[in-house]
Amino acid sequence: MAGKIIADTIETGAGADISTSYVVNGSAKAWVNFNGTGTIAARDSLNVASLTDNSTGDYKVNYSNSFSNDDYSATVSANSSSGLIGTLESEATMLTGSTEVNTYGGSISKSDHAVVCLQTLGDLA
Amino acid sequence: MQTPDFKGTHLWDRLCWAKENLEAYQSDYRVVYEDSIDECAKILVPDPNWMACALQGGILPPVWVYHELAKDEAQPDFKKHTRGYLLHETEPVGAMTEEEAIEYLIMKDCPQSVWQDWDSGNRPKMVICRKEQLPQTREWRNAWRISSEIAA
Repeated sequence: MAGKIIADTIETGAGADISTSYVVNGSAKAWVNFNGTGTIAARDSLNVASLTDNSTGDYKVNYSNSFSNDDYSATVSANSSSGLIGTLESEATMLTGSTEVNTYGGSISKSDHAVVCLQTLGDLA
Repeated sequence: MQTPDFKGTHLWDRLCWAKENLEAYQSDYRVVYEDSIDECAKILVPDPNWMACALQGGILPPVWVYHELAKDEAQPDFKKHTRGYLLHETEPVGAMTEEEAIEYLIMKDCPQSVWQDWDSGNRPKMVICRKEQLPQTREWRNAWRISSEIAA
């Protein structure tokens, strides 16, 4: 059954009200889980049009619905057993329509990983 | 499944509808391109949920909308998009074939300098291929280039 709920607030079981804007603003507006090895490919996503494999451990996520500005918040993660870090590449590569991410292994060199995830929160255009 | 009449519906809401109702489509097409002589070849990979939207039709905005937003963002005094309504209020494009979807994606997510004159140099700057045609391991990934033997 299709329907529409319009509400300014949501009440918790404990009787506390929260504004629905908390839910809307606090939700990831784009996310992706992809395989960064072999011929890279997304496993699942929301609001992602494509991935660009730039080089080893260097990828770009291209959005379908651009963000309103480039001051959004993005988090990168990836699998590793050796102290890997997933990072945003730079401020310059955080654009409204795409975000570049890097993954590293146990050294300072970029490396490819089987599970790379990006979650982005912010205002949509 | 019939796409609802999405004209004027926020693109985000259309994408959420597609995510819930359409089967993701994993394309075998890949786009290999070079946009800098100092860098290795890059590979554009379509997203399966996006491909489902493209094949379904009535969800995605025309590609020129993205070009307009990119022009705005390139302005030195850019702070935030003020023409985001173009994404939501422009009539969505109809169903595309897989090949048409790849062409759309090239114009959306590859640099214009690549796709506008991809075959004007001594060798092509861009090649559309199947994923089986790419190297199966990422050995020497940072040295991958488009072969000069590939005919345009």
